Amino acid sequence: MPGELSRAAAIVGAAEANEIGYPKTPKTALQLHMEAIKNVSNQTGIPISRINGVFGAGWSSQIAEHLGLHPDYIDTTAVGGCSFEMHVHHALAAIHAGIIDVALVTHGENGYSQRATGGRGTGRARGADPWDPGSLYSNPYGVTGAPSNYSHAMTRHMHRYGTTPADFAEIAVATRQWATLNPRAVMHSKETHPEGGPITVETVQKSRMISWPLTLLHVCLVTDYGGAVLITSPEIAKSLPTKPVWIAGAGENMSHSNMLEMGDFTATSAAASAATAYRMAGMGPEDMEMAMIYDSFTVTAGITAEMLGLAPKGEGFTLWKSGKAAPGGSFPINTNGGGLSFNHSGMYGMQLLVEAYRQLSGTAEDGVNGLPGKQTSARSCVVNGTGGSLSTTGTLVLVAD
Amino acid sequence: MAYNKPIPEPDPLGKPFWDGAKAGKLMLPRCVDCSRVHWYPRHICPSCHSDNIEWVEGSGEGYIHTFAVQHRAMGGWAEEAPFVTAYIDLVEGDRMFTVLRGVDPTKPESIKIGSKVRVEFEAATDDVSIAFWRVAE
Repeated sequence: MPGELSRAAAIVGAAEANEIGYPKTPKTALQLHMEAIKNVSNQTGIPISRINGVFGAGWSSQIAEHLGLHPDYIDTTAVGGCSFEMHVHHALAAIHAGIIDVALVTHGENGYSQRATGGRGTGRARGADPWDPGSLYSNPYGVTGAPSNYSHAMTRHMHRYGTTPADFAEIAVATRQWATLNPRAVMHSKETHPEGGPITVETVQKSRMISWPLTLLHVCLVTDYGGAVLITSPEIAKSLPTKPVWIAGAGENMSHSNMLEMGDFTATSAAASAATAYRMAGMGPEDMEMAMIYDSFTVTAGITAEMLGLAPKGEGFTLWKSGKAAPGGSFPINTNGGGLSFNHSGMYGMQLLVEAYRQLSGTAEDGVNGLPGKQTSARSCVVNGTGGSLSTTGTLVLVAD
Repeated sequence: MAYNKPIPEPDPLGKPFWDGAKAGKLMLPRCVDCSRVHWYPRHICPSCHSDNIEWVEGSGEGYIHTFAVQHRAMGGWAEEAPFVTAYIDLVEGDRMFTVLRGVDPTKPESIKIGSKVRVEFEAATDDVSIAFWRVAE
């Protein structure tokens, strides 16, 4: 039995900024937001003025002001890359409660351009509190950023389950195959990047060591991205020219904020957020026909597949190694080319949403965002965002009409 | 030679830890009500939510829970790369993060999860000492 909130709202459109990846001229986060919002308004025919809920990971009031909106619901949940899956969860609840009927979830982040702008125009708070426990008891030990943390989880997974770096490299290889079908992917081909195009496990393992056991190609890109989705009540969804993708289930959870408090380095709260989402949907992993899984690192995707019930514990990587997750496989995963090979701006949850909408609405293969072979026949998709240091998760079960 | 790596700014909550470190002792917060040791220091016990916290001297022993080899780092640590970072399961319970000593970062296969480690302290300034853990022979 689906829960009360199941299908109480639908994603009715999803769009990106005009230029993403490595733009030739630097972009600000605000520009990336606005281009995506304008594009999703044009796509759906919903005027920007009709939006009455604004959801963003840290900039909601500035976004609403820039749009000249006075929304009835403002949400700035910012707990890392999964924030956008949580925004969808919150929008579903707010629409079901009758508070709003048109929600905008938006993302703009210039992970690439901020190198050229001296860190200006990022739209994110800067500078860490020296007394934050994560800073105080970790920073003295030389760790710098996500790769230096996530590697500890991969070591533990290898110890516990006997997995190897080469097993996880299979995830990068299959994901790159999807990127070759996405012209907007940074690693699409030699034309888009000197190192683009197909890779092998050997290529991954021989790339530069970043934080053992993670080499460079186990690690996501750092790019620019703007993306936006619109979520409406069923009544509005049925009146639009675009196809609705129904939010059948949604859930969120967290195990910790900083990695000092990660109890089990081989598990994430996706097990809990997925259980909530599946329960709401009245569906289970066996009903899913594809997945969009946050792949900040190969290990993130491998562990998450296990948490979502798509593979037994310790065997998540086999979905990729067996070719099931690759183009033409029986269970497509990360059909946009992933954070590993398509685009990863720092927070990747919006990229997951946009591609899930495209796949389930049958618009994943338009020559711009996808070449022949990218569109799958999937009618259901489990989407899972992961934020922080394997800390926070948001899971959605999305279904086509 | 002056200490050239990031030096933490001790906070009021963790003062007994920082004072202990200066004296070469591993001081740990423990809940008076449920007797559980926790790390990092809390205002409220993360297990039973009591606000009755005391500080006790730990054994200074633990075990490697997991580790990684950092090949890229900033500032003073860049000069030491590659180096090994690790999460340490304390004998008293809960876990600390550290740079592991007494291991060969060029041979990660030789580093064993579960190995016994012992704490040591390095004075970064006259006021601040930093805890490091070393694999016990």
